[in-house]
Amino acid sequence: MPMNSMPKSGMPSGALAMLILRVLNSGPLHGYAIAQRIHVLSSEVLEVEEGSLYPALQKILLKGWASAEWGISETNRKVRFYRLTADGKKQLDAELEDYDRVTQAIQTVLRTA
Amino acid sequence: MRKIKEFLRTLRYFLDRERRSRELEDEMAFHREMAERAGRPEARRRFGSPVRLQEQAREAWGWTWIDRLMQDLHYAARMLARSPGFTVAAVLVLALGMGTNVFMFTAMDWAFFKYLPVRDPDSLVRLLRQAPDNYAGVMSYPTAAYYREHAKSLSAVMTLMSGRLELAPDAKVLSANYVSANYFKELGASAAYGRLLDPALDEAQSESPAVVLGFEFWRRYFNADPAVVGRRILLNRQPATIVGVEPHGFPGLGSQGDAADIWLSITQQPYFVAGSKALTDTSAGTVAVWARLAPGVTAQMAEQELLSLTNVRRTLYPKDIWKGEIIRTEPAGHENVLDAGTMRGVSIISALGILILLMTCANLGGLLLARSVAREHEVAIRIAIGANRRRIFRQLFTESLLLALLGSAAGLALGCASLKACLLYFGRPTWVSAAPDWRVCVFLLVMTFVAAIFFGLAPALQLARQQQKKTRARQILIAVQVAASCLLVIISSLFVRSAQHVLYTDPGFGYEQVLSINPGLGEHGYTPAAAQAYLDKVERRLRATSGLASVSLVKYPPFSGGWIENTEVNGQRLHTYRNWVDSEFFRTIDIPVLLGRNFIPGDKNAVIVCEALAHKLWPGENPLGKMYGDKGIVVGVVGNASINGARDVDALEFYSPAQLEDMSEMSIVLKSNGAPDGLVPMLKSTVQSLDPKLFPEIRLLKSTFHENSLELEQVALLMSLMGVAATLLAGLGILGLVAYSVSQRTKEIAIRLALGSPKIQIVVSVLRQFAWPVCLGVIAGAAATAASSQVLRLMLFGISALDPLSYVTAVGLLLGVFILAALLPVRRALRLDVARALHQE
Repeated sequence: MPMNSMPKSGMPSGALAMLILRVLNSGPLHGYAIAQRIHVLSSEVLEVEEGSLYPALQKILLKGWASAEWGISETNRKVRFYRLTADGKKQLDAELEDYDRVTQAIQTVLRTA
Repeated sequence: MRKIKEFLRTLRYFLDRERRSRELEDEMAFHREMAERAGRPEARRRFGSPVRLQEQAREAWGWTWIDRLMQDLHYAARMLARSPGFTVAAVLVLALGMGTNVFMFTAMDWAFFKYLPVRDPDSLVRLLRQAPDNYAGVMSYPTAAYYREHAKSLSAVMTLMSGRLELAPDAKVLSANYVSANYFKELGASAAYGRLLDPALDEAQSESPAVVLGFEFWRRYFNADPAVVGRRILLNRQPATIVGVEPHGFPGLGSQGDAADIWLSITQQPYFVAGSKALTDTSAGTVAVWARLAPGVTAQMAEQELLSLTNVRRTLYPKDIWKGEIIRTEPAGHENVLDAGTMRGVSIISALGILILLMTCANLGGLLLARSVAREHEVAIRIAIGANRRRIFRQLFTESLLLALLGSAAGLALGCASLKACLLYFGRPTWVSAAPDWRVCVFLLVMTFVAAIFFGLAPALQLARQQQKKTRARQILIAVQVAASCLLVIISSLFVRSAQHVLYTDPGFGYEQVLSINPGLGEHGYTPAAAQAYLDKVERRLRATSGLASVSLVKYPPFSGGWIENTEVNGQRLHTYRNWVDSEFFRTIDIPVLLGRNFIPGDKNAVIVCEALAHKLWPGENPLGKMYGDKGIVVGVVGNASINGARDVDALEFYSPAQLEDMSEMSIVLKSNGAPDGLVPMLKSTVQSLDPKLFPEIRLLKSTFHENSLELEQVALLMSLMGVAATLLAGLGILGLVAYSVSQRTKEIAIRLALGSPKIQIVVSVLRQFAWPVCLGVIAGAAATAASSQVLRLMLFGISALDPLSYVTAVGLLLGVFILAALLPVRRALRLDVARALHQE
C-alpha cells in the first residue's frame, strides 16, 4: 500500500535531503522530476509532496549542496534544474556512510538480541 | 568558511527576495501542472493553498524573521503615527529618563574611565606620602628630586607646584603652574604656537626665563594673538619671555594638576618669588609628584623601591620623614582617581539616575496600559480573524521597542546637549567632548532594551492574552512611581534646605567689612623672626591708618580652606577646624567671647573652643580649666563661627595662640570703619612699602562669601529642577492611570449618575483603588530616603539628613500634585453626557 499521506514530519528531516542528493547524483533534474524519481525508485512507496520538497530544495541551495540553473522541461516550459555541487557530493557520501553504519548497527542488534 | 558562505548566500537571497519568490512560485506552479498532467487531480486538493506552500518553502531561506520584523516595525510606526499626542508624550518622558542617564554616564565615563589624551597614560602614577597616622598629596622638592635621581623603576618624575604671579603693568594676578621642564614632553604635548618647556633649555638659570601661556589665558588676555611668542613680559617685576602657547584642550594631569594661566619651569620659581626656599627646604610639602613607570615595572615594584629609598632618606633627614612612611602610587592616567570615597558618590549618582529611569518607565508603563484599553478592540478583531497570539505579542512588543528607541535617540540628543552646555558653562576640562563614544552607545542600547521590557512587557502580555485587566499591575506601577518620585523629591528638598541653611544662616562672624591680606612671607623665605618683625611693623602702620577699626593676625583667614584635625580628643573622635590667632582676632571678625577670657600675650598652651565643641566635650560642665588633648588648657569659650567649615555640618572650631614659629604663615585680617572696597590699593602699597619683594593676596571677605554662595545657589537650583521634574512626571503618571481607570468605567459611572448617586461617592469609588498604592509608595520612598541618610549626610550642610521639614514639604507637595492629577480626569467623567456614554458601549 502506498504511503500516500506522508505526514509533514513523517520522514526524518535529514532523510529527504539525502534522497534528493542521491537522485541528483545521476544528473541534474527539476523539482517535479526529483519527486517522481524518488517515487519510482522507492517502488511507489515514498511520495514527496510540494510542501516538503521545496523547503528542502531551498535549504539545499542555501547550504550550497546543489546549484540551480534554468532549462527547458520535457513539456517545453522554462524550469529550474538542480545540479549536485562538489560540496553536495561530499555531503551525500558522508550521509550515506553514516546511514550505512547506523543501519548495520541496528541490524546487528536485531539479529543478535 | 562554509558558514560564512552560507551566510552570504542567505544575504543574497534576502536582497533578491522578490525575484526568488517569483521563481519559486513559478516552479511550484509547474510542479502542479505536471502532477495534474500525470493524472492525479487529487494533487491540487492535497497540496493545499499554494501561497501557504510558498511561504513554507521560503522559510528555508532563514530570513523570514527579518521580513516579520520589518512588517512589525512598519505596523508599529503606523500605530505610533496615528496617535501623535501619545507618542510625543511617551518619547518626551523617556527622553528625560534616558537623557539623565546619558548625561551621568558620559560624565562618569570621562571622569573615571577614559584615558587622558596624553602619551601612554597607563604608565602614569601619582606619588603620595602615607603613614599610619598621616597622609599628604605633596612632598618637598628635594625629596622628589631624590626619587627622580635614584628610582630605577621610574622612567621619569614630574613635579608641579601652583602659585600666583603679578603681571605688569596692570598688576593682573595670574595663576602659575611651576612644573618640571619634562612635564609637557612626558605627556607628549606639542605647542599651539612657539614651543613648550624643554629640559635642555629651561632648567638652567637664565636672564629671562621661558613662559608658556595657558590656552584660555592667551585667548582672553592676548586676544589669541600668535605674535605674542617671543614677547618679554614682567612677572612679579622680573623679566620673562613668552616662548609658546599650550595646546588647545591640553588635559595636563587631569583634575589633580589644575589649569593655570601660565606655565613656568619649577627651577625658576625662586627667580620669580624672591627669597623662596621651595626648592631647598626638605621639610615643607610643596610639590605634587607624578611619575612614569619604567617599561615592565609594576606599581608594586615601584612602591617597593620607593620604600627603600624613603628609608635611606630617613637616615639623612630623620625629622622630615614620618614614622612608618611609605610612598603610595595611584594610577594617574584618568581625569579623576576612582577611590572608595569617590566610588560612593558615583554610586549615589548612578542610583539616582537609574531611579529616574525607573520612574519614567513606570510612568510609560501606565500610559501604555491606559492605551491598551483603546486597542483591546483591535487586538480582539485580529485574533478573531486568526492572528497568532505570539505574533501579536511580538508585534506589540516591537511597538514598545520602537518607542524606546525613539526615546533613547531623543535622550541621547538631550543628554549630550545638556552636557555640552555644562562643559561650556564650567569651562573645564577642555579636552572633553560631549559627543558620545561607543561605551555610551552600548550603555544606551542596553538601557533601551531593559526599559522596553520594563514598560512594554506587561501591557503587551495583557493585550495578547486578552486578559481581563487586573488592577494589580496598575497598582504596582503606581506604587513604584510614587516611591521613586517620593525619594527624588525628598532628596531634592533636603538639598534645597541645606543650601538655604548655608546661604541664610548667620555664619557666626562678621565679614561685610573685613579684608584679609596674605603677604606670603613663608613663600618668600622669611624666617619666623623676620616675619614677626615685619608683621609688627605692618600692624603698627595699619593701626595708624584712618578708616580701619581693628587689625589682627590669623593663620587661616576665613574661606581659605583651613586646617582640619581628625583626631581623638579626650576619648572622643573629633573633626575639628583649628586656627592660630592673636588676641585681636575675635574682636576683628566679631566673634563673641562667651566665657572665660581672650588670649593674652605669652599664652602658649591656652585653648579657646567654640560653644558647640565645649558642649560636646563637657556637656553641662564648666569647660574652663579643662584639659584639651595632651597639653591644651581651655581658657575661654567663643561663639560658633564657621570660618572655614561653612559647608561642614560637623564643623567645630578651636583656637590656639599664634606662636613665633607660626609667624611666617600668618595672614592679616582687618576690619574697616566704612565700606572696605576702596582700601585695597592703599593696603597693597603699605605691605609692599616695607618689602617690595612681596606680592600680597588681598581679599574682600564679602566677595569671597558671595562667590561661595553663588555656587551653592546653583546646586540648589539644579536640585530643585530635579524635584520639579520628578513631581511633574509622577503627576503625569497618576493622571494617565486615573484617566484610564475612568475610561474603563465610563458605563458604570454613567449608570450611577443616571440613577442619581451623589458625585462624591462616585469619586471615592473611582479613586479608592489608588489610595493604597500611593500610601505604600510614599512610605516606601520616605523609608528608602531615610535608610540612605548615612550616605546623604556627607553631602548635606547644616541640616540633618532626616530633617522633618524637608520630608513633610516633599510628601505634602507630592500628595497635592497627585490629588490634582487624579481629580482632573474624574471631573471630566462627572460631566459625562449620560445618554451618549450609555449608547456608546
